[in-house]
Amino acid sequence: MAQLDFQRVERRFPVKRGLLDMVARRDRVYLHAVRGVDLRVSPGDILGIVGESGCGKSTLARIGVGLQQSDGGQVIFDGRPLAGPDPAGRLQMVFQDPYSSLNPRITIGAQLEEVVAHYFPKLPRAKRAARVSEILAEVSLDPETALKFPHALSGGQRQRVSIARALCPAPEILVADEPVSALDASVQAQIINLLKRLNREKGLTIIFISHDMNVVCYLCDRVAVMYLGEIVELQNSQDLFGDPRHPYTRALIAAVPDVRRAQSLAEPITGEIPDPFAVPRGCRFATRCPLAETACQNPQEMLPLGGAGGVRCWKAVPSD
Amino acid sequence: MSLLSIHDLVAEFDSPSGIARAVDGVSFDAQPGEIFGIVGESGCGKSATCRAILRLFGGAPARIAGGRILLDGVGDLAALHERQLAQVRGRDVAFIFQDPLTALNPTMKIGRQITEVIRRHQTITRAKARAAALQLLRDVHVTSPERRLDSYPHELSGGLRQRVVIAMALALRPRLIIADEPTTALDVTVQDQILRLLKERRDRLGTSIILITHDLGVVSQICDRMAVMYAGRVVETGPVREVLDSPSHPYTQALLAALPGQVGREQALTPIEGAPPSLISPPPGCRFAPRCKLAQPDCVIGPPPPLHARDGVSSGHVDACILNEVAYGPA
Repeated sequence: MAQLDFQRVERRFPVKRGLLDMVARRDRVYLHAVRGVDLRVSPGDILGIVGESGCGKSTLARIGVGLQQSDGGQVIFDGRPLAGPDPAGRLQMVFQDPYSSLNPRITIGAQLEEVVAHYFPKLPRAKRAARVSEILAEVSLDPETALKFPHALSGGQRQRVSIARALCPAPEILVADEPVSALDASVQAQIINLLKRLNREKGLTIIFISHDMNVVCYLCDRVAVMYLGEIVELQNSQDLFGDPRHPYTRALIAAVPDVRRAQSLAEPITGEIPDPFAVPRGCRFATRCPLAETACQNPQEMLPLGGAGGVRCWKAVPSD
Repeated sequence: MSLLSIHDLVAEFDSPSGIARAVDGVSFDAQPGEIFGIVGESGCGKSATCRAILRLFGGAPARIAGGRILLDGVGDLAALHERQLAQVRGRDVAFIFQDPLTALNPTMKIGRQITEVIRRHQTITRAKARAAALQLLRDVHVTSPERRLDSYPHELSGGLRQRVVIAMALALRPRLIIADEPTTALDVTVQDQILRLLKERRDRLGTSIILITHDLGVVSQICDRMAVMYAGRVVETGPVREVLDSPSHPYTQALLAALPGQVGREQALTPIEGAPPSLISPPPGCRFAPRCKLAQPDCVIGPPPPLHARDGVSSGHVDACILNEVAYGPA
């Protein structure tokens, strides 16, 4: 099984300049979406990436499947730097919105057969339909689904079709970017069960991007927490949720409403994610952090925690 | 005395394939100083119910087709003329929409938008209105409020925009705020701040709030009482802790069981199979019966079952499952 390895990955987007900026010879401004991300995805893992909007988790996901290039560092896949989407389709992606990611004018069967034909050109035409039925069965959809158009399916069924399409090339790694965020809770559970089953039964490696801490806690083996483009904490799921180290991780977990509690846990952290063009020096969370002090203005390195984990905070409580 | 009490509300929407009864016989009431939560999945009619209260259908071909909406001191909102209802909006009852960006005018400065609300209902000078707007922004904890008055909506973050929308809703000191998924578009740390803000407002001024959400966690965190809706009807209502800790309707039970965090990591989650029924021609009997694991032959006969008390009326915890009626006797 091939391994995916992010090494000091950077990604920045140039911001559009106006004529005035050019006349005034102002420097080009960049938005740093991903900064120095080191992350190794082990085969058979379900790795969660969590964080609030704008933290860079989706950009990182797209870099991971080769849909976007990194500006610095590299992504090593199967021992070689990833230069674009894998021609054999071993890296696949599932998107958030199952409504816009399927072609509304083609039947489900035709969409999936097209993908099968692309990756297995030698497979006779007659056998493609059988392969599509097999894949539909893997995501618990009836073979008749192949005859339907996307509009005839419910949101949950559509998301299962999206997953089926990603499974067509028999991928090793599936990157799912907020795959359940657009779905109702009762339907979410189907998709989460499906991903878990694909992981357990077929050994599919999954990178699961989400802002929903409850879902990540349930599904993922390891979790990376991102803030303003950086990973601030990486631990296996049980440790991260049982004993979060970074003040941001703590705040994030405490802010999640729980049906069993009448109050949220801690005092809320104040403020919002800072303007990405004016990120604080040193620790990027310092402007909102209840523990912040002068030393936090120094750049923060990832401090190792047990089990290949780490935390980017010098004040993170050491384990007893 | 209830502040708002809704009886058998019916709201219909015209659609190409027929008339959809998005709200079909909904009754509930909100007490002064109470935060009342309405939960349910997409299409259950929770938003339509609340839009019907102020007839804010946003141009959709919709109408109130029955029932009464009694607001204390005003009367039946369903019977008011559009012009009379316009006086109620903002002054007695204010509405907070899900998406703060579409609720604000992108071409107008924040200050002007807030003062417009004030000056529409009160005759005061521009300067006084601006001072009032400044105070409103302070009340909702907007940082550097003087500067924000002269900002345009696009210059603010999502959380700040929602604070501005809340400030506008509070401008005329309404007795009731209807908030339709006010935190769904926000990040979880900001959601926490906004929920605390709404609660603080209630605690300080006794403003009643009807909160519509799909997130049972949010209800658990700030609501006093709640109603669970399914396919245009209320299936269970009562004090929040009772409904969430000992749900009695099979739909509420299934909804809670589907959430991650209720089972261990090695157990599978329990989704609700099937899909909600069509609101154009809903099935007879209980609307959840086709998906209900406990359904009996009696469940799919006759009109949809009404809400009835489970164990004495005192707590107000009632549900619409006929199986509970058998178990506990009719109310």
